[in-house]
Amino acid sequence: MHNVVIVGGGPAGLSAALAAAAAGAPVLLIDSNPRLGGQYWRMPSDDVGQQGEQHFDLETGLILINAVKARKEIEVLSGAQIWSATHKDGVNTLRVIQNGAEKIINTKNLILCTGAYDRTLPFPGWDTPGVMTPGGVQSLLKGHGVLAGKKVVVAGSGPFLLPVAAGVVKAGGEVVELLEANNSARWLLSPFVMLENVGKLKEAFYYVKTISQVKVRARFASAVIAAHKNSEGNLESVDVATIRGNFKIKKVRNVKCDVAAVGWGFTADTSLAGALGCKQIVAKDGGVVVSADGNQQSSIPGVFVAGEITGIGGAELSMAEGVIAGINAAKFVGCKVEVLKAHRKRRAKRQRFADALIKSYPIKDGWISWLNDQTVICRCEEVSVGNLKYAINELGATDSRTAKLLTRCGMGLCQGRVCGRSVVDLVASELKISPTDIDRFSAANRPIILPIPLGVLAAGE
Amino acid sequence: MKNPDAIVIGAGVVGACSALSLVNAGLKVLVIDRGAVASGTTGAGEGNILVSDKEPSPELTLALRSRDAWFELNTDIGGGFELEAKGGVVISRSQSGIANLKKLSAQQASCGIKVVELDAKGIREIEPHISNSVEYAVLYPQDAQCQPMLAAAQIMRAVRKRGGAFIQGENVESINTKSGKVIGLSTDKATYQSPIIVNATGTWAGAIAELAGSYLPIMPRRGFILVTAPAPKIVHHKVYDADYVANVASSDADLQSSAVVEGTESGTILIGASRERVGFQSDLDVAVLRQLARQAISLFPILSNIPLLRAYRGFRPYAPDHLPVIGEDANVLGLWHAAGHEGAGIGLAPATGELIAAQITERKTFMDPTPFSPKRFKQESNVAI
Ligand SMILES: Cc1cc2nc3c(=O)[nH]c(=O)nc-3n(C[C@H](O)[C@H](O)[C@H](O)COP(=O)(O)OP(=O)(O)OC[C@H]3O[C@@H](n4cnc5c(N)ncnc54)[C@H](O)[C@@H]3O)c2cc1C
Ligand SMILES: Cc1cc2nc3c(=O)[nH]c(=O)nc-3n(C[C@H](O)[C@H](O)[C@H](O)COP(=O)(O)OP(=O)(O)OC[C@H]3O[C@@H](n4cnc5c(N)ncnc54)[C@H](O)[C@@H]3O)c2cc1C
Repeated sequence: MHNVVIVGGGPAGLSAALAAAAAGAPVLLIDSNPRLGGQYWRMPSDDVGQQGEQHFDLETGLILINAVKARKEIEVLSGAQIWSATHKDGVNTLRVIQNGAEKIINTKNLILCTGAYDRTLPFPGWDTPGVMTPGGVQSLLKGHGVLAGKKVVVAGSGPFLLPVAAGVVKAGGEVVELLEANNSARWLLSPFVMLENVGKLKEAFYYVKTISQVKVRARFASAVIAAHKNSEGNLESVDVATIRGNFKIKKVRNVKCDVAAVGWGFTADTSLAGALGCKQIVAKDGGVVVSADGNQQSSIPGVFVAGEITGIGGAELSMAEGVIAGINAAKFVGCKVEVLKAHRKRRAKRQRFADALIKSYPIKDGWISWLNDQTVICRCEEVSVGNLKYAINELGATDSRTAKLLTRCGMGLCQGRVCGRSVVDLVASELKISPTDIDRFSAANRPIILPIPLGVLAAGE
Repeated sequence: MKNPDAIVIGAGVVGACSALSLVNAGLKVLVIDRGAVASGTTGAGEGNILVSDKEPSPELTLALRSRDAWFELNTDIGGGFELEAKGGVVISRSQSGIANLKKLSAQQASCGIKVVELDAKGIREIEPHISNSVEYAVLYPQDAQCQPMLAAAQIMRAVRKRGGAFIQGENVESINTKSGKVIGLSTDKATYQSPIIVNATGTWAGAIAELAGSYLPIMPRRGFILVTAPAPKIVHHKVYDADYVANVASSDADLQSSAVVEGTESGTILIGASRERVGFQSDLDVAVLRQLARQAISLFPILSNIPLLRAYRGFRPYAPDHLPVIGEDANVLGLWHAAGHEGAGIGLAPATGELIAAQITERKTFMDPTPFSPKRFKQESNVAI
């Protein structure tokens, strides 16, 4: 049995692994990607260069990844997906698929750093080929050196639109519009946080510089509210609206493009923590996250959590949390080590920045007014807004779980990762109630974490 | 609704069908559920409407009527719940199993069930991907299926359209009686008067009987269903091993399963369902999932490459003798039970509704309801009435 098992090889998981190993604990690091780095430092396939061009802070990533590889206390399982996990009598059982075979790992001491994925909002035409998430565009760029299209509209809300736009520019694409739904002045809500996180400003400045070199200027209070396809079924143009503070439409114009990268921040991937039974809470932005105490410990003793799954806060907060989780996990298995005041201070500072982010980039439910009855909500099962309304108004669904059972919304390939959160908001809006925490939890949890071939399942003990 | 003629507790498929039959019989009906429509076991069922898995018995008579009643109901309320006569294929691979299956299907045929015997070639014509090891099967063209949650919801919609009322989100906490007769019930929010209460709370029916000071031995039997990612059409009917029939009737508490494999419209394949008596234990049991996967692959080896997407579980309501309970309570007048249908509640619901409504309104029943009477149980503890 390994002493400390860590799931996730992003900023949080790498930091946790190094901290635990430095404290003397043997570590097993499991990650589903073929290469370490997570979302932020998504490494290109070996034959693609120019990664540095895409990234503000690749150095830190390379340093962490190399340090992890160099430490003999750390064993890395890459390309390994945990499809199921259960907790019983203090022992966590992880069922891992690697190279088509299943491995069972039992551990009392676990750090979960499973990160987050792009949050999407549905709009008419969002299922058109060419409409992507910023994360999707970026992972094509970072992972494969591929540019998704020539004329790109980047839209949505949050600071992550900037690096994506910069990446497109660096790769030789044209960013025809960069649209932020919120008002630029919102950052003034948190002036002190800005000052104490100058590093973040520098980062933003780096991206703004890249973008402005090719004369792209961000437009605020603007959003992509519809997409149109050409005769071949691919994206031809988008409708761009200026919107009010509540996201209701003011004025619409049409913009030609072949790719629209539209994203609305992130949703924590809590499925693994949820399968183990870690307590979850609803964050201020309505997303479900895993509850953690000051030591990054979840509600299950010995199970620590760090990074985006405890709340969306960016790579640096993830690293700060990862270090604290790693130290405490090492302490849990008997290593003589303490979290330093400096660690806590760093985390607190990053946390204030994360809180400011959420305050600056709220998603207001005016987006629901962009939809019509034909708008697809669940792309996997092809469920429309009209189908959902029928389930509510005719079939009497009074919560999102029932609406889901009656429409198959969220039951397809992605298991509601894409639409689950929006469905909860939509159903509540149609019923004129606020979503309950139970609605939110049930949309965020899935006992089968990732699909597993029946043959592999059958072959297991 | 003021002074309903009858209150139905539970808006699962059985409660919905009971309410519809009562409304159709001209009664003012109020349905109360503590959750939403189909929030109980109906929301976790698979939707098989089977005649193939029953031996000649009162339950088969009920199942045959119910199967036809589903199609009548479909026409009556305008569909919308994916009812389809897909047909069942039962296979057996052992000498003794084949002999038993031949015997069973001959008996079933004599009760009016359509059966078609298939040889190795015949099977492959209708199920080209079946395992090489299968050389004998029986096709049951009447076996059908529906989407059970949609069925319950559409039936409840019809109930409301025909004058019934439906209250969701109220938990029944007491059954009010006077001199051994029902006078109404109280929920966590209100009290309702009615001389008739239909207990259609499935797995929780024993608790309602207890509230009335009576007794009903209904217990949970857990089951898992596997759902795969969408795949090209591989499975065309409901296909299962004849062992399944033995399992259904078994009283063994250990895990039993005999996978029923079927393809759906959307391309996903459903594999169900295990049967275990583990109380209301709800955690994911990977051993059960593995067994279902093994059985499905043994029927269709090609499934090996298809990914499992999700699994869900539910708790079937079962009585010690594995027969549903349909009839008036042994101790309390005006309290009617329609519960305990175990793994066949979807299939048996419409005929259950007809049987309960006919008895309540003192009309002619399509069959003798005595075998399903709650009076068949010996009360184990003495409860004051
Ligand atoms: C498009 C985009 C741009 C961004 N730009 C910036 C930026 O400029 N600045 C900034 O600060 N932040 C940025 N971020 C956010 C940053 O990526 C995250 O803050 C950071 O990656 C979070 O680190 P993490 O360790 O929590 O999770 P992640 O980096 O997401 O790592 C999680 C890891 O866990 C693995 N995993 C998850 N589930 C399983 C499982 N079941 N089995 C095995 N492995 C599993 C995943 O494969 C992944 O490798 C950006 C994110 C995106 C998507
Ligand atoms: C895995 C699995 C697969 C199955 N597959 C099939 C199949 O293929 N074919 C088939 O025919 N059957 C199948 N079944 C069985 C079938 O699902 C059940 O027999 C059927 O759903 C029972 O319906 P019901 O209406 O009696 O109970 P339920 O659907 O459980 O309804 C009872 C209702 O009562 C409500 N309730 C309970 N207590 C109270 C209270 N105190 N106050 C208010 N309301 C209350 C509950 O909220 C619930 O909605 C399967 C079952 C499982 C678990």
